[in-house]
Amino acid sequence: DSWGIFAFLCAALCNLPAVPALNGTEELGAGQSIQKTYDLTRYLEHQLRTLAGTYLNYLGPPFNEPDFNPPRLARAERVPSATVDLDLWRGLTDNARLAANYRAYSRLLCYLRGLDGQVGTVELRHRLGHFCSSLQGLVLSIAGVMSSLGYPLPAGPAGPPTPPGAPAAPNNFLKKMDDFWLLKELQTWLWRSAKDFNRLKKKVPPAVVTLRIEARGF
Amino acid sequence: LTSFLEDGVCSYLKLPFGEQKKNVDESKPPLPFSASYFMFNKLSAWSRDRKVQSKLLTPADRSSRVLFQFISSYQPKYLLNPLCLFCDVLSRCFKTKEERVEIPVPESSTTVKITTYSISGTTFATRHFEIHKKDISFVPLAPHILSLTPDFSTSTLTLKWSDNGSAFPYGLDASWEIEVLRKETMEDVTRETYNSKLIHEDIIHSWNWKSDMPLECTSHYVKIRRYINITQFDGPKDWSDWSPVEVVPGKDTEPNGSGLFPQDTVVAVGSNVTFCCVHKEGQQIQRMSYGAKDYPLIRLSSRSSAIRVLNANASSASGTNIVCTMSEDWMDGAVLFVGYGPDVPKGLSCETSNFVIIKCTWKPGRATGLYKVRGTKYSLTESISGKNVSCEVNEMKKKHVCGFPVLADQKTYSFILGASNPIGQTEASLLVDLNQRVNPETPEKLTASGNSSTSVHLRWFINGSFAEIRLLCEIEISSGRSEQKVHNVSMPGGKFSNYTVQLNALHPYTKYQFRVRCSAADHFWRWSDWSGTLEYTTLEAPPTRGPDIWRERSPSGKSLRIFWKPLSLSEANGKIVSHEVSCYLLEESLEYKEVMEPSNSTEIKLGRNDCVISVVAKNHAGSSPPSRITSVELPSDNVKTDRAVAMGNGIYISWNSFPNMTCGYIVKWCHSSGSEPCSVDWQKFPSNTTDAVIKSALFRPGVRYNFSLYGCKSSGYQLLKNVTGYMKELPPKRAPNFTVEETSSDSILVKWEDMSIEDCQGFLEGYRLSFAKGEKDALKPRLLESGNPELKVKNITDLTKKSLKILDLQGKTSYQLDLQAYTAGGLSPPNSLYVVTKEDCKLNIPIN
Repeated sequence: DSWGIFAFLCAALCNLPAVPALNGTEELGAGQSIQKTYDLTRYLEHQLRTLAGTYLNYLGPPFNEPDFNPPRLARAERVPSATVDLDLWRGLTDNARLAANYRAYSRLLCYLRGLDGQVGTVELRHRLGHFCSSLQGLVLSIAGVMSSLGYPLPAGPAGPPTPPGAPAAPNNFLKKMDDFWLLKELQTWLWRSAKDFNRLKKKVPPAVVTLRIEARGF
Repeated sequence: LTSFLEDGVCSYLKLPFGEQKKNVDESKPPLPFSASYFMFNKLSAWSRDRKVQSKLLTPADRSSRVLFQFISSYQPKYLLNPLCLFCDVLSRCFKTKEERVEIPVPESSTTVKITTYSISGTTFATRHFEIHKKDISFVPLAPHILSLTPDFSTSTLTLKWSDNGSAFPYGLDASWEIEVLRKETMEDVTRETYNSKLIHEDIIHSWNWKSDMPLECTSHYVKIRRYINITQFDGPKDWSDWSPVEVVPGKDTEPNGSGLFPQDTVVAVGSNVTFCCVHKEGQQIQRMSYGAKDYPLIRLSSRSSAIRVLNANASSASGTNIVCTMSEDWMDGAVLFVGYGPDVPKGLSCETSNFVIIKCTWKPGRATGLYKVRGTKYSLTESISGKNVSCEVNEMKKKHVCGFPVLADQKTYSFILGASNPIGQTEASLLVDLNQRVNPETPEKLTASGNSSTSVHLRWFINGSFAEIRLLCEIEISSGRSEQKVHNVSMPGGKFSNYTVQLNALHPYTKYQFRVRCSAADHFWRWSDWSGTLEYTTLEAPPTRGPDIWRERSPSGKSLRIFWKPLSLSEANGKIVSHEVSCYLLEESLEYKEVMEPSNSTEIKLGRNDCVISVVAKNHAGSSPPSRITSVELPSDNVKTDRAVAMGNGIYISWNSFPNMTCGYIVKWCHSSGSEPCSVDWQKFPSNTTDAVIKSALFRPGVRYNFSLYGCKSSGYQLLKNVTGYMKELPPKRAPNFTVEETSSDSILVKWEDMSIEDCQGFLEGYRLSFAKGEKDALKPRLLESGNPELKVKNITDLTKKSLKILDLQGKTSYQLDLQAYTAGGLSPPNSLYVVTKEDCKLNIPIN
């Protein structure tokens, strides 16, 4: 039945471009908006598994070897790292965590868009394009959750993020290494975001939201 | 000799060769070899223990000396500060503390005395020996390397040196031996010979060498020596000493040098490539891989190792990765792109569509396996004008396109299409006469205009400059009314202009579709694409003829109904709007009516009078010629009714020839559809006709039609006979209803009813009564289908008969009776009855 879920998510995603910035979340309520963001995160996790497989095959061995675990070269730090101490992460406020997610995906999206132009095969370019639009949807969705919870959006990249002035990799191998780390970090971020939104979901059940809307009505 | 002694040490003395020459001829320059170097290679040793060698030094100052070199076998303690005195035959003496001395080259031969003094100044030994000129070898000085420059990106070394040619006579052959060494241990890599000619000038020579190993991997060394084939010299010639070694240090000599080399290189499929991994002191290489495979390490130094990949396969789109995994959680990598050089472009073809741009197309041939920045770059060079353009091509497309501007006053173009990528380059060439390679742009903005019903002006635009050629255009003319036609027209070309043509002989009021394509008229190359289709309807013209008409008197005889048939499209020449019906009696119009479409008949109150009726069809362009018919109906008697023959697709009618019917025959019939009054139809035949197959789309099989045959005389129409018939006869829809009138012990009398014409569906030909023993049982097979041997059949062909007595039956027996009607179309479905005969009262007495 996971296929059914994905089919539903796909259908939900198809409508994403039609809901810019998910302004509708105000009416949806925070609970539903978090649920949607959670669903989207899980969908992206699934989508990334396929994409990463294809992309790493494109990069060639050893990048596509399952036990390939390169040392994180200094250059790779330009990609926002998800490697934060778990206790430290849990200790953050919801606002701080959401803001960190928002910032991270905004930046990751920039790099991901950078991949597009370099890739040799048409099919892979197409897949990347699709994933980028989905990830753009997630950035907007997180913004929606934050606004529905009354948090301000973090300063910096808002809307379409501007590409950072990071220097291009000096050679093809380091470029591939950057790509590898980008996909790996994305995977970790999505994995952790799913946990974040799940926890947030439990904190803000839909019923509470209903009450809040009623209270506003008075 | 003692005057040279200074503090018991041999002093070194040089004497210029020129001083000796002055005695001979002061005006002459020094001898050619005066600027060269000599060595005695064969000396009669003045001591068996010692060899004495000589060399002539320093060509720059043009003085010549012989260098004596002692290679002593004495113990070093005896050689400590020896004092030596050389004296030649002219008693010129040279003192040295070393084991060598230079003396002038002798003219032919000379005797030399060498005296060795001990430290205390006493003579240790004295020897005499003779030097012959032919025994002196010619040994050039070691050359001096000017520069050794590395190009790391191509792993190429460039060596530069001067040949000191100004010190030698013109035209001597010189050979240079260059040796390349590598690694700390100075292992030989290659030794190559380079030949040149000395031209009495100092020439700087350059020699390139491409290393099979990146220059970063380890230090590379180069040294050079020379050999000069000096023809004027009698003695043997020999190679010079090696020059001092020049070095290009490897990255492994830099304190923090590290990396994997080479980076991002492109090589041809099948190449052998060496990669090296240079690391910091203390690190260890764990493995090096190329693609998915580990390769054995070749140690270059304590900080550098290499792998060698032989016969490299084509790499994937992103290149093949080389990874060097080291201890201390460190990794280095590089990407190698292995592909093919560009194929020769296939099928290069150039044409112009507008005389502004020449469009050349080609197929790239075999894929290079290299993309993006490493993909094949194309350039188009025109060698007559010397112009050159670079081509932007889409790698994904099978056919590549490049544009080249049309040049003023140039008709012939000699194109060279160059293809290059990092591996190699190829080219294809093509000579084109542009006037013979015209494929015009698609004609556009096609419009039509006209004020005639049979002609039209077509106008279109071609976006191109064809002023210097003629165009041939093809106009395709289609309409629903006639076959597609093609009209060719040749016209002078214009500069971005409109073209017009008039088309005649069109049909009025006809919807035409036009489209145009063009080509060069004088040198056909290709048609342009078709323009878009233009739809145009010609104007209306008056109908070409009057309608086909008929008339019928009402049963009362007081009014006359006039019928007409619609004109065909080609006769109507437009949209018929009305019919004018008038009635004349001797030029006097009795009645006039305009009947609007779509009526096809009208009625005129005529009373008992007769007149000539005229009908004219009208459209917007005018009226047709009138059709005329008289209302006069001539009396006829003894009118018979015949049967027509069903033909399947029509109804065949024939008649006798009536010689007095001067203006032909008319067959008239009526179609009835349901309750509506039947609609009259007719067909005219010339006087010589005696039969006809009447066809109509409205005829249905199994329906009876009644025809009236009229003859035409100048005085009027006369009914000749009636004909009835079918297009196709069908079996009757059902059998007649029948009943049992009476039964006895051996007979049954049955009666049946008449059948309607509608039920018959053909001319009724008879009835079929079948009977056999049988009981009413739905489960049993039907009588007619059973093939029952007891089945008996009575065929009744007398249609007036409406009853039949069946005899010779058995008493008290059940019989099944089936009655069917039949026509030429077949048998109807049966009506069935079951009858039980009465009990037999008689005794069964056999008769006879």
